[in-house]
Amino acid sequence: MPAPTAPDPGEVPDSDLVKRCQAGDTRAFDALVTRYRGKVYAMTYHMIQNETEAWDLSQEAFIKAWRALPQFKLDSSFYTWLYRITHNVTYDWLRKKKIQGDGEFDDSHTEHRVAAGAETVPHGDPAPDVAMKRMELGERIRDAIAQLSPDHRQVILLREVDGLAYEEIAEVVPCSLGTVMSRLFYARKKLQELLKDAYENAD
Amino acid sequence: MKTPTEDHDLIRWLDGEMTAAERERFAARLESDPVLKADAEALLQLGAALRAHLPGEMPLPHADFFNSQIQVRIAQEDEPARSGAPSRGRWLEWFRLPSFATALAAAAAVVIAGVMIWQQDETGESMVLSTYTPNPGVQARAFHSQEAQATVLMLDGLEAMPADHKIVGYHIQHSEREQDVATTLYGERGEVVLVVSEDSHHQPRLLSVSTQP
Amino acid sequence: MRTLAVITLALSLLAHAAGQQPAPGSPPGGSARKPATDGKVWGALIYATNDPKGLIGSKEQAPREFAGLQARLGKVFPYQHFEILGQHLQDVFREYESWVVPTKDLFLKVDSKGPAKGGGMNLHLQFWREQQVLVKTDATLRADSPLFIGGPKWREGQLIFVLVLQK
Repeated sequence: MPAPTAPDPGEVPDSDLVKRCQAGDTRAFDALVTRYRGKVYAMTYHMIQNETEAWDLSQEAFIKAWRALPQFKLDSSFYTWLYRITHNVTYDWLRKKKIQGDGEFDDSHTEHRVAAGAETVPHGDPAPDVAMKRMELGERIRDAIAQLSPDHRQVILLREVDGLAYEEIAEVVPCSLGTVMSRLFYARKKLQELLKDAYENAD
Repeated sequence: MKTPTEDHDLIRWLDGEMTAAERERFAARLESDPVLKADAEALLQLGAALRAHLPGEMPLPHADFFNSQIQVRIAQEDEPARSGAPSRGRWLEWFRLPSFATALAAAAAVVIAGVMIWQQDETGESMVLSTYTPNPGVQARAFHSQEAQATVLMLDGLEAMPADHKIVGYHIQHSEREQDVATTLYGERGEVVLVVSEDSHHQPRLLSVSTQP
Repeated sequence: MRTLAVITLALSLLAHAAGQQPAPGSPPGGSARKPATDGKVWGALIYATNDPKGLIGSKEQAPREFAGLQARLGKVFPYQHFEILGQHLQDVFREYESWVVPTKDLFLKVDSKGPAKGGGMNLHLQFWREQQVLVKTDATLRADSPLFIGGPKWREGQLIFVLVLQK
């Protein structure tokens, strides 16, 4: 089970760096950026599956974090707080682009992936659904994740990929613990349904 | 049909959110309920597959540039009162680096931003504050030409446009934003020339309607 | 399927636009809601060459306020002839991306970041070559201080993108 990163022994704790940031030390913030950029980028990338936009959104999340740091009271861990900002930035982006939900974005994305798989087989060969089954498992998983609604996608990623506890997820999203559990349950069931034949076709 | 509470029990067990006593009771249930056990095993397998294929941390392209650009933007938002700014040529050299992925660039970013802000206030010239070229084979360098009274962003390493490629120019005079999803561009006589939109991956889609004479 | 959807959308927009085709010389799309803008830019794609026979014979002329542009380009780029291939006068929308498209081959996406201290506009620019973004840049654009972007080589010369903030 993945666990949230704990600083290595000897590494400056997040809380110390945060306090230095709050005193205006931009080098301390640079250290925090370096520590969490790979995680924030992975989170945004898994959410929107576009490298360039994920890069920009990750940067936006850190800029917003810098602006908000004076108000951060260290009443939660820095990474949970940062994930919350990342979550907001990603959702704002999805909202702005009007691709939230199960509609246009997800359908087009799926069709795009199927078409890409289908192009690898000659005409007259298996139909796109068969080509999709042949897709590599990782691609199937990314595709299935993209078909979840952003709410379900976010929760399953925070739990399975980032290893956040329910209380932390509830704080990031934010929502109740019951909602976290319901969303996790639904997301897993949906993924099971979408990937039900994946393992037997896995490479 | 299971109740929501039973569903929640299963995922709390999966996610290690149960107390020791709850785990013990749930383990007993699993042993007595083969359907629940099969379900639990399938979900464990799903979780393992997700973790195996979706990394929690990914290498960031141009990571040093990522940091340095953040520092530049932070400095931009701060008060520009910085005295003793280094000479103007220094930050131009930064842009001339083959790639921005150098620790030096990151370390110099605050100084650079200071110079930029100083220069903005003093000169009233257009400024290139930061650049990012997704293709690592392309380098961007920015400078100000006093003679031309212009700011120049030079892109080196671009692939040449094929000589036999015909370039059709437009004369766009006006645009309208349509339903927040596309922009219609109009020509000199008010005719529709192009419709520009973005797809879900933010690639531009240009649909031409007429060409200029 | 996705492409089809885009084309369908575009065609429906065109049908909408065609239905509102204005009389020549009058501002088009009069009934559309006018989004807030932060300013206006003029963009052009220029072909620079030393071979006068290589010019394509474009009739495009820079607006009067940008006269002398060719001479200024000559101070930076080592060419004698600068021909405007296409040009675009564009409002910079405050809430939406704006596009400056003098040609379909090379064009610019412009996002306003608000007014700059001391005048002008802070912009995020993306310079596109068809479906590929060549450079992303944060820039401050001021009137009387054009931005020249040195683009790819073409034929015997080079393509240059010019962006100017209108006063």
